[in-house]
Amino acid sequence: MDTILNIDGVSKRFGGLLALADVSFEVKKGHILGLIGPNGAGKTTMFNCIAGIYTPTEGTITFDKGGAPVSVGGSRPEQMTQMGVARTFQNIRLFGSLPVLDNVRIGRHCRAAQGFWGAVLRTKAQKAEEKLLVEQSLEYLDFVGLKHKALDLSSSLSYGDQRRLEIARALASQPKLLLLDEPAAGMNPQETGSLVDLIHAILEKDVTVVLIEHDMKLVMSICEHLVVLDHGVKIAEGGPREIRENPEVIEAYLGRGAAHA
Amino acid sequence: MFEQQLFNGLTLGLIYALIAVGYTMVYGVIELINFAHGEVYMFGAFLCVTIINSLGVPLFPAMVLAMGLCALMGVSIDHIAYKPLRKAPRLAALITAIGVSIFLQNIAMIIWGSRPVPFTRSAVPAAFSEQAFALGSVSVSGLQLFIYLFTTAMMIGLTLIINKTKVGTAMRALAQNATAAALMGINVNRVIAFTFALGSSLGAAAGILVAMYYNTMSATMGYNAGVKAFAAAVLGGIGSVPGAMLGGVVLGVAETLGAGYVSSQYRDGLGYAVMIAVILLRPSGLLGKSVGQKA
Amino acid sequence: MTGQSTALKLLGLCALLAFPLMPFSSEYVLHVAVLIMVYAVLAMGLNVLPGFCDLLDLGYVGFYGIGAYTAGILSLNYDMSFWVVVPLAAALGALCGVLRGAPTLRLSGDYFAIVTFGFTELVVLFLTNEIWLTRGPLGMPGIPPIDINLSWLGIDWRYDFMSETPYYYLGLLMVAFVYVVMCRIEDSRLGRAWLSIKEDPLAAASCGINLMAYKSVAFAFSAAVGALAGCFMARWSMFLAPDVFKFWESFLVLCMIVLGGLGNINGAIVGSVVLIALGEVLRVVLPHFGLPTETRFLAYGLLMILIMRFKPGGIFPAIAATSKKSRLIMDLKARLQAERAG
Repeated sequence: MDTILNIDGVSKRFGGLLALADVSFEVKKGHILGLIGPNGAGKTTMFNCIAGIYTPTEGTITFDKGGAPVSVGGSRPEQMTQMGVARTFQNIRLFGSLPVLDNVRIGRHCRAAQGFWGAVLRTKAQKAEEKLLVEQSLEYLDFVGLKHKALDLSSSLSYGDQRRLEIARALASQPKLLLLDEPAAGMNPQETGSLVDLIHAILEKDVTVVLIEHDMKLVMSICEHLVVLDHGVKIAEGGPREIRENPEVIEAYLGRGAAHA
Repeated sequence: MFEQQLFNGLTLGLIYALIAVGYTMVYGVIELINFAHGEVYMFGAFLCVTIINSLGVPLFPAMVLAMGLCALMGVSIDHIAYKPLRKAPRLAALITAIGVSIFLQNIAMIIWGSRPVPFTRSAVPAAFSEQAFALGSVSVSGLQLFIYLFTTAMMIGLTLIINKTKVGTAMRALAQNATAAALMGINVNRVIAFTFALGSSLGAAAGILVAMYYNTMSATMGYNAGVKAFAAAVLGGIGSVPGAMLGGVVLGVAETLGAGYVSSQYRDGLGYAVMIAVILLRPSGLLGKSVGQKA
Repeated sequence: MTGQSTALKLLGLCALLAFPLMPFSSEYVLHVAVLIMVYAVLAMGLNVLPGFCDLLDLGYVGFYGIGAYTAGILSLNYDMSFWVVVPLAAALGALCGVLRGAPTLRLSGDYFAIVTFGFTELVVLFLTNEIWLTRGPLGMPGIPPIDINLSWLGIDWRYDFMSETPYYYLGLLMVAFVYVVMCRIEDSRLGRAWLSIKEDPLAAASCGINLMAYKSVAFAFSAAVGALAGCFMARWSMFLAPDVFKFWESFLVLCMIVLGGLGNINGAIVGSVVLIALGEVLRVVLPHFGLPTETRFLAYGLLMILIMRFKPGGIFPAIAATSKKSRLIMDLKARLQAERAG
């Protein structure tokens, strides 16, 4: 099996706080990996390192963008998106005062080319690209089930729909690797159910997924492989069953002594 | 000659420092560039002279009274203009701050006219205009000596308030993390009001000192002083009180020496150039924490 | 688009074109109208930064000054035609715009605001002190008016702009040009990238938008438009002095776009009409109360505070939404409606 992302000995330090300490794991192409752990374990920090928002203090991150794997630690966010890493945010970060369609069109930014002069002169190429952008954006919206709301204001969407729109925006950049940060947070059981279907559909599109999630039922049901972080340290890795029975993991979640109870 | 320039620069620098701490403290607690601070400084000078002229109050009580009035003014500005916008986009608050600044400047123009006004000579102690002491070729006037002593006392007092009192601790907590501070039971609005009061009274004192030093004041004096004091605050590291003090002194000295040896026409531009250089080379300032875009 | 609104637009256009021919349009009235046009261009140009990119520019008039003095110097000393000067001045403005913004690219918007605050000061200092170039505080009189000279085509025909009327039409053309360019950019990949930076820089970067590059384009474009307005103004007023480009003017232009609603292109034009007209009225009224005419800024300052507090979208939020009417979106709307019905 090919490795699409390789995290090797990554540490991230904020002043005196060690948010990630020598974490290593691999993400297999075409599969879904769950990144779990209690609050403050460093999961989102890890996402931010992969997505180029933070530069790791130590360690290397290698990403296979097709062809030879390249070291990407310290790249800027837009470079990571260009290479094929897209993400959603834990606390939804949509462009709230723009329509749903524009959110996806902006998500598609790096797969389009027209700049200042195209916009001013309205060249043929520019018009064609604009038209194509709308069509492609509608496809992504259709994929997450929001096509009929394309012209609504994105802040007027329901919470669950906003999460889906964020996924559509991320998918619009045609990622090879998609980082989902707590996509089910705040969803009701029905919405969570359709989210599972959506994630399966994403995997079928040949996109690799890394998922941070607190909803254990969801994680255990869709992830083939799990990495558990606690206080910035990787404490376990393996299949759902292994992880569920790992005493260290139980202790991290429920506190000392729980494993023996 | 050089030593004399240095001492003159120090006088100016201490005054800048006094204004700069007002900017930096407010920025620390509500992350807003309070553009109206320069106008509070200007009002300080005008109020002081008005109190002296119309009520016949001697200089020092008038100074205290003007500082008190400006403290009240600072608190009112925050309460009326900024407080309703705490949760609004940052740009809204910033634009409001500019609006307040222009508004106050024009109020002053209506009350006191748009021409420069001299400081009331008769109220200034005679000792201020005489030479207090001489160090070799350097001559220091009574007023300069007073400025050194007064500003130093103010700075020490301010440092004590920030580091030793309960409200000072609350101010520092707020600068660290406003939400957490509120959760810890700190009355955030009261601390902000106190910060405005403190900063405004120091700014007013600076205005009075400048008006005495140059024997002139005008409704537009707050603009230049504002830019420079803010440059001083950036130079020292925005949000850092000791940084603002240091930044003010460095800027005052640099400006005076620059005017003497480089170009007197660009005197006012020098502060700006220093600020750009700092932003380019060390945006966190001399004593500040690292800044950069928050992720 | 309904037929009614098209008819209204045509009517408005006719009214604008016929305006100088009306009996009430004296040279003074036309002068004010041209002034409004200059400010409308400035307001649209300034709007790019606070309106599209969430960056507060407090020294915008600096570019107006750079453009005006470039035009003045090139016209007076080198006898250059207006039509040659415009692109040169715009290019110089764009360069200055990028240089001004560059130090703050990696920092928060507050740093940009404060750098621009000092920038005006520096421009005025330069214009005042570099007497060899700008004649300093005495100002620069005798700048020739705009002319159209076809001798380069081998045709012996020349027209000099001697009254307000040709400036009125040229100004109208300039406003229309800038307006169309602004609307086209707003509804484009570039415009959407700017708006995303305004909404949420981090999310924008995660969408693949290079913040520094796109902000730099905004700096350059906004400044070039300011310089264009300056060029026009120099050859229209035929006199320049450093005092014209002080902070007050930047504030006035900012006030216009706040009034019209940040990011609202139509609003920028409405704001300039309202504030220039109000300024002319106050200029007459204020002396009756024994107040200096500068105190009109009291009203502007107050207006700005009140709008930010109570109507942050501007006083006419309904006139926004230019791009929402683009052909593509209208088509899409119809399609979605059809799908819902079917």
